[in-house]
Amino acid sequence: MKKYWHIITNEIQRQFTYRASIAAYAFGNIAELVALAVIWTIVYKNVDAIKGYSVNEMISYVVFAWFFSFLTTTYAFETNVAQDIHQGTLSNLLLKPQSYIRYMMAVATGRITIAFLIVLVQGALVFSFFRNSLIFSLDFPTIILLLCMLVATYFINLFLSIIIGFIAFWTMEINGTYYSLKVFSRFMSGTFFPIGLLPAFFMKASFFLPFVYTIYIPVQLYLGKISFAEGLRGLAMEILWLVGLYAIIKIVWRAGLRKYESVGI
Amino acid sequence: MLIIKVSNLSKTYEYYKKQLGVWASVKGLFRREKLHKEAVKEINFSIEEGELVGFLGPNGAGKTTTLKMLSGILYPTSGEAKVLGYTPWKRQPEYQKQFALVMGQKNQLWWDLPAMESFILNKEIYEVSDADFKENLDELVELLDIKDILDVQVRKLSLGQRMKCELVAALLHKPKVLFLDEPTIGLDVVAQKNIRDFIKQYNQKNKTTIILTSHYMEDVKELCKRVIIIEEGKIGYDGDLARLIEKYAPYKVLKITFEGEGVKEVDIREFGEMHQFAPHSITLRVPREKAKNVARDILSSNLPVDDILIDEVDISDVVRKIFSNGN
Repeated sequence: MKKYWHIITNEIQRQFTYRASIAAYAFGNIAELVALAVIWTIVYKNVDAIKGYSVNEMISYVVFAWFFSFLTTTYAFETNVAQDIHQGTLSNLLLKPQSYIRYMMAVATGRITIAFLIVLVQGALVFSFFRNSLIFSLDFPTIILLLCMLVATYFINLFLSIIIGFIAFWTMEINGTYYSLKVFSRFMSGTFFPIGLLPAFFMKASFFLPFVYTIYIPVQLYLGKISFAEGLRGLAMEILWLVGLYAIIKIVWRAGLRKYESVGI
Repeated sequence: MLIIKVSNLSKTYEYYKKQLGVWASVKGLFRREKLHKEAVKEINFSIEEGELVGFLGPNGAGKTTTLKMLSGILYPTSGEAKVLGYTPWKRQPEYQKQFALVMGQKNQLWWDLPAMESFILNKEIYEVSDADFKENLDELVELLDIKDILDVQVRKLSLGQRMKCELVAALLHKPKVLFLDEPTIGLDVVAQKNIRDFIKQYNQKNKTTIILTSHYMEDVKELCKRVIIIEEGKIGYDGDLARLIEKYAPYKVLKITFEGEGVKEVDIREFGEMHQFAPHSITLRVPREKAKNVARDILSSNLPVDDILIDEVDISDVVRKIFSNGN
């Protein structure tokens, strides 16, 4: 285990050499939230409630969905995986007595650590800015459940990133797939607005995909719109998806390695 | 003891034909012609413990592909290989802890961190004990004289310094088998010599089995007693470097100097193939078995011979000839 810990700390050190770039990302995070808050404030000028959401609930939804989504993002880790394959860096990793998948998980975790801390600070600022509109009502068990769900969300995102990255075994370019899936997943996970606002068909379909459990359900739990038991069921679904995605990673990895040509050396 | 055994090993890459032009690209969306490139074709060889073998061949001959299969990075299309009794592409940790691959054009060190961080990480990955790590590191740092650069970010190092650090990273776990793919590429002559001397010493001291590929004849001449020449995926020669000359250069070189007025070209031409001509000094190529007779004939002729020398062709010229045939 010690080796993976070293990989995480090395990656954190590496991130420090790119601090300017991280700060640049942080600006974009905020801009996205500002856009959403402005839209909803305008929409709510003439109505009191939309599909059961009061203005404060909606602002809270948007703020927390934003917060959760940036806490659990992998920051385009797909491109790292794809680069390893396209540039042949993977070769170096294959030589050593280590698991590539665990190696990637360690790198990804080290890679997001600093950005994660920045999001926490940003979150604190955002919460204080919206303090009059936000709903704060949490008991201890719900906090623990939420944390578990968010950890699971992070790993679902990471596993998806790795799978998308593995497409690079077969194609020269993954950016299109990555971009489309990113937009689709943010839409279906309810990062921009509660998925309940969509026609019933979407709602039903969304429960067959992992995304709804990653953001929408945790925020619903936070807002008290679903019960603790329903929250637990959401976590169970996340864990099921994790197991499934991990199995897919293993299968794709094995198939991909047979295609691997270790180019560029 | 037999360390490496390769039997009928082949690797075929698949690729698609792409014709020029936009229209061809559009057609390519619907139908593509699949082509195969046989990078390595049924090669066989074996290597004993402690040998330092040179892989020679032009670009694209299949040298690196072979090394990649022996390191377990690539699956072969067919055939078998055993290194230290393991099948490399099964990538068993027991095997991985006993070999290393150094690629001159790729680095394993963390680019943004001092080399020392990569060394420590490798210590953990290869599960080297603290005591062994310290001992190996001290020894390697001493041999390569890199004490001062261990805490400098890798990207700030010169190519030569980086290569030395790459070697340290690869050798910390004391591999029994070492694959060196162009370890001196891009280095200046001094750095090349340093690396070469190091490899020589290391091989002698630790009895490490080494396969080396290089484009620099000096490397091969200095280091390898035995060479394997790969041309278009096949083994063209496997044996002593010294005997390579007999096979590929069926002639010797006569260097003759003349005194007085010198000679005219027409007087000499009958003796052999003229390689260089100046009135007082010529170089002739003559078939190996005729060399002595030709020399005697020249000496007993009326030509004003001052000195005569029968020499082997330079090994570099031989290899250059092999490479140009390959291309």
